[in-house]
Amino acid sequence: MGKKKDVASLKGDIEITEHTLPLDDLCRQLRTCPLKGLSHAWAKVMSEKEGPNRLTPPKTTPQWVIFIRNVFSYFGILLWIGAILCFIAYAIQASSSETASKDNLWLGLVLTIVVLITGIFSFYQESKSSAIMESFKDLVPQYARVIREGQRLTLKAEEVTIGDLVEVQLGDRIPADIRIVEAKSFKVDNSSLTGESEAQSRGPDCTNENPLETKNLAFFSTNAVEGTAKGIVIRIGDNTVMGRIAGLVSGLDSGETPIAKEIAHFIHIITVVAFGLALALLAAAIALRYHWLDGVIFFIGIIVAWVPEGLLATVTVCLTLTAKRMAKKNCLVKNLEAVETLGSTSAICSDKTGTLTQNRMTVSHLWVEGGIVDAKLNDDCTSVGVAGYNKRDGYQKLVRIAALCSTAEFKGGQDSSVPVMKRDVAGDASEAAILKFVELAEGSAAKIRERFPKICEIPFNSSDKFQLSIHANNMTDKGCHLLVMKGAPERILERCSTIMTNQGEVAMNDKALDAFHDAYLELGSLGERVLGFCDLPLPSCDYPIGYNFNSEEPNFPLTELRFVGLISMLDPPRPTVPDAVAKCRSAGVRVIMVTGDHPITAKAIAKSVGIISPENETIEDIANRLGVPLSEVSPESASAAVVHGGELKELSETELDNVLRNYSEIVFARTSPQQKLQIVEALQKQGAIVAVTGDGVNDSPALKKADIGVAMGITGSDVSKQAADMILLDDNFSTIVAGVEEGRLIFDNLKKSIAYTLTSKIPEVSPFLFFILFDIPLALGSVTILCIDLGTDMVPAISLAYEKSESDIMLRSPRDPKRDRLVNERLISVAYGQVGMIQAVAGFFVYFIIMAENGFLPQDLYGIRPRWESRAVNDLEDSYGQEWTYVARKKLEYTCHTAFFVAIVIVQWADVIICKTRRLSLWDQGMGNWVLNFGLVFETAVAAFLSYTPGMDVALRMQPLKFVWWLPPLPFAVLIMLYDEVRRWLIRRQPGGWVEMETYY
Amino acid sequence: MSDKKGNNDGGFMKFLYNSDTGEVLGRTGMSWLKIIVFYIIFYAGLAAFFGLMLYIFYQTLDINKPKYQLGDSLIGSNPGVGFRPQPDQDKNVDSTLIWFKRGDRDDFKFWSEQLKSYVEEARKTAGKNCDFGADKASDKEACQVIVDEKKFGNCTVATDFGYKDGSPCVLIKLNRIYGWKPEPFGPARFSEAEFKKAIDDKANSDAKFPKILKTAIEKKLQEVNTEAAKEDVAKSVWINCDGENPADRENMGKISYAPMQAIQSFYFPFMKQPNYVSPFIMVQFESVTRGVLINIECKAYAKNIFPDRASRTGSVHFELMVE
Repeated sequence: MGKKKDVASLKGDIEITEHTLPLDDLCRQLRTCPLKGLSHAWAKVMSEKEGPNRLTPPKTTPQWVIFIRNVFSYFGILLWIGAILCFIAYAIQASSSETASKDNLWLGLVLTIVVLITGIFSFYQESKSSAIMESFKDLVPQYARVIREGQRLTLKAEEVTIGDLVEVQLGDRIPADIRIVEAKSFKVDNSSLTGESEAQSRGPDCTNENPLETKNLAFFSTNAVEGTAKGIVIRIGDNTVMGRIAGLVSGLDSGETPIAKEIAHFIHIITVVAFGLALALLAAAIALRYHWLDGVIFFIGIIVAWVPEGLLATVTVCLTLTAKRMAKKNCLVKNLEAVETLGSTSAICSDKTGTLTQNRMTVSHLWVEGGIVDAKLNDDCTSVGVAGYNKRDGYQKLVRIAALCSTAEFKGGQDSSVPVMKRDVAGDASEAAILKFVELAEGSAAKIRERFPKICEIPFNSSDKFQLSIHANNMTDKGCHLLVMKGAPERILERCSTIMTNQGEVAMNDKALDAFHDAYLELGSLGERVLGFCDLPLPSCDYPIGYNFNSEEPNFPLTELRFVGLISMLDPPRPTVPDAVAKCRSAGVRVIMVTGDHPITAKAIAKSVGIISPENETIEDIANRLGVPLSEVSPESASAAVVHGGELKELSETELDNVLRNYSEIVFARTSPQQKLQIVEALQKQGAIVAVTGDGVNDSPALKKADIGVAMGITGSDVSKQAADMILLDDNFSTIVAGVEEGRLIFDNLKKSIAYTLTSKIPEVSPFLFFILFDIPLALGSVTILCIDLGTDMVPAISLAYEKSESDIMLRSPRDPKRDRLVNERLISVAYGQVGMIQAVAGFFVYFIIMAENGFLPQDLYGIRPRWESRAVNDLEDSYGQEWTYVARKKLEYTCHTAFFVAIVIVQWADVIICKTRRLSLWDQGMGNWVLNFGLVFETAVAAFLSYTPGMDVALRMQPLKFVWWLPPLPFAVLIMLYDEVRRWLIRRQPGGWVEMETYY
Repeated sequence: MSDKKGNNDGGFMKFLYNSDTGEVLGRTGMSWLKIIVFYIIFYAGLAAFFGLMLYIFYQTLDINKPKYQLGDSLIGSNPGVGFRPQPDQDKNVDSTLIWFKRGDRDDFKFWSEQLKSYVEEARKTAGKNCDFGADKASDKEACQVIVDEKKFGNCTVATDFGYKDGSPCVLIKLNRIYGWKPEPFGPARFSEAEFKKAIDDKANSDAKFPKILKTAIEKKLQEVNTEAAKEDVAKSVWINCDGENPADRENMGKISYAPMQAIQSFYFPFMKQPNYVSPFIMVQFESVTRGVLINIECKAYAKNIFPDRASRTGSVHFELMVE
């Protein structure tokens, strides 16, 4: 209970207020001093009170407990009971007679080995995915520089306590959550925490209520990348932002995967049936006055026959194969079961940046001489077309400013063969975008810069919002210097008195202003980042060559400039994403965008990739279109919504539920990672199976909580990768969709595989029942059953994982986990009730043939068992009056076992072929699955090997068969194929008809 | 969604009978009817198919002779040996112990009656009168099994087969194998000299070959006159019983064979002739030590019989205990 409450409190948004307090108040509260730090004595007191500054490792289950749990799970218990009974039976037999057969001993050993191998395999799977906490440890700094009583000390990071004054400089990890009191061009990289890759400057001023946005806080385990700073520790250890996330991640229960639930459900059925049947048989055996030991041996026989020993291995191998296939498509699956989870996913909460988009700012539009120009990247990505504007004067000037007013440069050492779009740039994202644009449009930005050497510059600052530089002009003698400026469009406009239009430079007028505003609005509504550009040739008379420009106290004009144009940029969607989103839509998978970005940008991207489809409107759109205030639009009329993180905070659980229910297309913008978790939980409560993408440490709770967490291979932090079930190596949304397809396919194919495996249970169990109920000699032994389950059936069962899908699986809705079970009564009905029965009859047909051809006609077998089994009877008479010794008739019996075994192999040919398809005709499905074709040959070869290899009569009691004894099952194999073809024809002919209702699994 | 929940809430009882939908075990009456009818038709069809297949197969069988014979069949061509009387096959099928109280009719009756009915059965069936050097069994007609009481000494109904006196007779017979004929030791083409030499060699080379048997064979050879009769003697399946261990041999005492120590060759081969009864001999344990369990093994000897204790071919094992 206590733990639950903890997790709930961790889920809330981070509550830090220390950054808003005046520094003096804070120092008084913490009894510290921004210059000298804590006193040693108080530091000791605090240290004792608050404990060490480290992340508490979660309580872990000891490895051996996990191991035991794995070995005794699933069929484990059942097989263990079988194995122990085998050993007991052997012990009793061995003590009562010297010549006891070692059958039960071998059987017990094989069962033990099977259960151990399966257990070890799943243990290995589990232990692989439990390294989340390890990854947090890597984030924690080792040492910290602390000032106490004015002395600089280097302490272990663990010893830092609240109120300590710490010093950090570039290259350090921040040792705790600190409030900055002093900073020199200090920048931190919060990417491990938030996933934002741009370094952020930090200083002593509180700039935002939100602790994650304010500039005067730096967080535990983030990196200092520039400058130095001093700060007061306000949170340590588990209470830090990072600590809370770590606590949340380890406290969250990600729950069972859908496939694990399905397998548990299936095993539940099998176990109940096996025990029920075995106990009924034990009771029957005792009622029929069998010796109790015989009863126990029957019990073992039934369990061995009924439990599909090889099935767990088959399922694991099938999932592994799919995981490998997905890895080839850049989708790395960490937890095998996640392969299928992806297939049942009904909602994907996707990040925007980098996942839906390319995470690469690109110039998309120019506004020049009063017109908006598309900056289209040509198909070969080597040039930019600007639709006839390239000779215009305004355009030429704009490009010149763009090239000059920038500090971005291509990083050295890059070959010119590297495409421009892929080159690395030193500088921020917008400048890089502009630089690349210039490079593509004009050939070389460096040439322009050579012509206009930079003389003076004013870097961008957040209060003025512009950047300026002054260049010498080697080209014209009219003016020696050129002033260029770029920045926020409205701020730039304010400083201009003239504007470039298609009539050349004119004085600023209303018409031009209107045109500017329209363009600015239009570009803004596309979610693009817009920059304004202006310039001014400085008259050479006032500013001669050698003029001493002073950037600290500008001795040149900053107003009355010439406005040239706008350049707008955006992070374009990945080209494959719109298709992928459309695929999701047709596959009934909801795509919800959850991003920290601005609503407008988010919405624009959502629209361009189809997350908000063109025909759908948000209430804002409707209000806009109708020209009425927002409040007058009823929320029901809209089917799309853009929800701001601020609004989300105000929503109650039910309101959020309503939002998710009422709108089919939702974009969550400006959300915090905690809200991501909230959204995931709300979706799960509605029964959805949710996939979530994320890259930051703070995404890891949502990743863990989601049914399938998807981390980003390129930008993702280690912690997020550990918390996730799957890693997208290319960070690409479409990869998820490819994964969904694979996941759905493997679910279908697992069904087929299980149907195939379960079918042979009927011919395996029926000999036992007949042995007990009709007293006929046993037709199939336990050892031969194991040969089928762990030998011949394995490869064909696995090969069904390679089966191609029957129809477009991306056109149907995700499966309803409550109704569409992996193993359902229809599957059982077809496998056990129909095909399995035909197989059993085929087996008995061969059995009767061999018995009859050797002398025992079927009618004479009834009731023969006690004398057949007795060593004392050395002269058992057959239908022709011949008399059989014990050894001779046992040899006959083992020949029957072998033939029955071969019969099962042969009818399993037919079974694996019909299992290829659940609805289509085999004619349409084809036999193109070469792994399956190999499986057919393989199982036959194994059967022949077991039958004909010398020594097998001793090892497995397999006897060589006459060739003709391979033939009797063939008519039954044909019957199975015909029967099932007809069944599937009926399913196709009458969709929703009785045959489909009762037999379509 | 809420409907679904309602169903689940009812739990198992609701699964057994859902009064809202009239479903029993998750199906309505109509649904049950349809699925049951389907399965009845399905299994009827399957049974018919199986029947048809079996019918076709039966056409390939001859009711009078097994499809595979001797080495072709899994029965092989190395017959086992049987004994009578057997312990109760219903209660004690795994036992080979003949255990009775001498003089107590109620007790030994169980054993002697078995032999009596076996002999009576043999008496009832007719057949050719065969003898060494004379008539033999043919494909169509078997030889009459010797039931002449005079030839059986004390192993007759009149003496309760010796059980009354504590000197029980045990019937020994060879397992019937369709078409199997014993082959004499020595070369396939019979000559008395070669046969004797072969027996000699066998007795000298095979430590397990009982010397006493050699004497018995030689004695019998002298008794018959014609070459054909001698050949038949040589072709007979010779039987020898003995205790399994030295102690058993001591406790077993003297034994005698009736009518002779061999199953005569003219009874072979078994060809499923009408009323064929297995030829047999009686082994009488004349002076058994009382109150002791004695392990006895009887082996059959011919060139094509290979006695093996483990697989019980060419031999049989039983225990005897007389109180």
